[in-house]
Amino acid sequence: MFFITYLRRELRRRMRQAILIALGLALGIGLVVTVTAASAGVKKAQSDVLKSLYGVGTDVTVTGKAPKPPSPGSGPPKGGQTLQIGPGGAQVCTNGKCRSAAGQKIDHLDSASYGPISQSKVAAISRLRGVKAAAGGLALSDTSITIPQKFGQPGGSLPTPSSFNVQGVDTGHLSLGPLSAGTVTAGRSLTGSDAHSDVAVVDSGYAKTSKLKVGSTVKIVGHSFKVAGIVAQPQGGSPPQVYIPLARAQALGKAAGKSLKNDVNTIYVKADSAASIPAVQTEIKKLLPGDTVTSASSLASQVTGSLSSTAKLANNFGRWLSILVLIAAFAVASLLTMAAVTRRVREFGTLKALGWRSRRIIAQVMGESLVTGIVGGAAGVALGFAGAAIITKAAPQLTATIASATGQRVQSVGGGVARSFSPTASHTVAVPMSATVTAVAIAAAVVLAIVGALLAGSFGSWRIARLRPTDALSRVA
Amino acid sequence: MYRLTDVTRLYAKGRGTIPAVRDLTLVIEDGEWLAVQGRTGHGKSTLLNLLGGLDRPTSGTIELDGRDLARLREHQVTRLRAETIGFIFQTFNLVPTLSAAENVEAALIPLRIGAVERRRRVDAALDWVGLGDRARHLPGELSGGQQQRAAIARALVKEPKVLLADEPTGNLDEDTRDEIIGLLERLWRERGLTLILVTHDTAIARRAQRVGVMSKGLLSVHPADRQRAATGEPGY
Repeated sequence: MFFITYLRRELRRRMRQAILIALGLALGIGLVVTVTAASAGVKKAQSDVLKSLYGVGTDVTVTGKAPKPPSPGSGPPKGGQTLQIGPGGAQVCTNGKCRSAAGQKIDHLDSASYGPISQSKVAAISRLRGVKAAAGGLALSDTSITIPQKFGQPGGSLPTPSSFNVQGVDTGHLSLGPLSAGTVTAGRSLTGSDAHSDVAVVDSGYAKTSKLKVGSTVKIVGHSFKVAGIVAQPQGGSPPQVYIPLARAQALGKAAGKSLKNDVNTIYVKADSAASIPAVQTEIKKLLPGDTVTSASSLASQVTGSLSSTAKLANNFGRWLSILVLIAAFAVASLLTMAAVTRRVREFGTLKALGWRSRRIIAQVMGESLVTGIVGGAAGVALGFAGAAIITKAAPQLTATIASATGQRVQSVGGGVARSFSPTASHTVAVPMSATVTAVAIAAAVVLAIVGALLAGSFGSWRIARLRPTDALSRVA
Repeated sequence: MYRLTDVTRLYAKGRGTIPAVRDLTLVIEDGEWLAVQGRTGHGKSTLLNLLGGLDRPTSGTIELDGRDLARLREHQVTRLRAETIGFIFQTFNLVPTLSAAENVEAALIPLRIGAVERRRRVDAALDWVGLGDRARHLPGELSGGQQQRAAIARALVKEPKVLLADEPTGNLDEDTRDEIIGLLERLWRERGLTLILVTHDTAIARRAQRVGVMSKGLLSVHPADRQRAATGEPGY
């Protein structure tokens, strides 16, 4: 076919220029693909962080209003414990009755970050318009410490308490909540029949560090729970370490010394469509005015740390850099194409004299530009893959800090004033950075290559359309 | 048949205009060979461009077989060039990346002729100009004379009614010049086409039926004495 022969020969003749144009486009497109891949990787990391907290498919999360920390000098709440240090050594006091603290183990299962929400509100939310499903959960922290014999005396110091997060799971709605994002790696997950049983599912990381297996027991405020399964959460998250049936968590957990029976502190809500989410959020706020209602998107905005900085870098600087490089590449491609057309005006004038219509000559030039663009696009995609691979391999591990979202924090033992453990209102997790080239990015690269090529070709075409054969033929070869 | 009536072509230069062709009235019969001579810049090439529909007159009419080139739309003139008019240029104007055969084939592309028929006609045209064995050579691999032969093959492959040649021997040595002119004359005789040839070379002009001399945009035409030119009698 004459068109192909002519196109091939012309590209071969102007090989260096064609390579230069293709390289320019490849650089721009490669950058776009890399930035898109990095952005997708960051989004995935964010998504993993959020999924590990609230599970797959949760659109809106309601958390109880955080209780006020006890003010210095105030007494403990009813049932709360204080650790008092006096001349006779350390004493643990409950409701005014004190006993020696030496050698005693203090163990609490508290909801420290979130206040309680009546379980009846879960049903109320599930009846709201636009709500597909709602499930309650209890995010608790089991904190224990053994008071040393010499504590309170000279040279006796308080050891760091051990703590792990316990999640009460509504076994009737297992598709919502943190457990839904996990993959069972051993044993089984919780089921509806476990609602009142002392069974637990353990996070794989916690199982490894605590040497737990299916069939082992894990102690929660002195109660033994049999490990039914081990679950792995998405990378980058900071999942609860132990999942137990909600009813058991309600029975054992406390908030400010009060029992959590018939209470939850988190409600996971799934909307019937993405469009319903804002309305659902508004309705829930009306229903629970004092509590915090968070959608997945607004929660993502609360994520800070290097993950957030990288997301901003990818979305802002990376995007603008890509656009600038693309514009530069398009401009260079256009200028070089114009220059090539200028050098070939005599040739085009001859073709016009032979009876070639302008549009046939334009098609020829467009074809040459298109092939250059496609080659540049393919090279750009390859560069993008290489860039993404380099980012994945060389990028440092990112951290994500989620302010007051985890609900699992170390709290003081009881409500006493003598000592308190530093409460943490934010949670920082390490997130591996993985840049993934998506099909959408490849499609975008192909479109950009074609657009760039057509843009460059159209400048040349404009020149050809204006070309008068007599002017072209009067040029000295 | 060409019929030119009061043709004027003005070019803008600075604030004024320069007449490249002035008040030209001329009839060129079918099958006629007209040589056009004149000094550089006196309108020879402009006349050829007007006859080939590459340029349009500022005023007047240029009719080819009754169709006024000045009034035809651009695509109609382009079609006319593709079907009816062959061009030969001083600098050959071959596409450097295409072989001799492909350059010749380029003239058939606008006619939408099938590939097999194109190949047949290209081979025949190249054989006719004696370049059959160089069909696959690129222009850069051909001598000046061979390049002009390829250009002639490109002009004749579409079997035009009119052949416009702008100083076709201007870039050739004397032997090659005679060879090319001989080829053009044979083409004119055998195919009965109208040949309008611009040349500085009086010896070539004398071989035409009529000679026109362009001077400051004005053309004066007179019959050439072919007999005297052929015998090389002094005074010519």
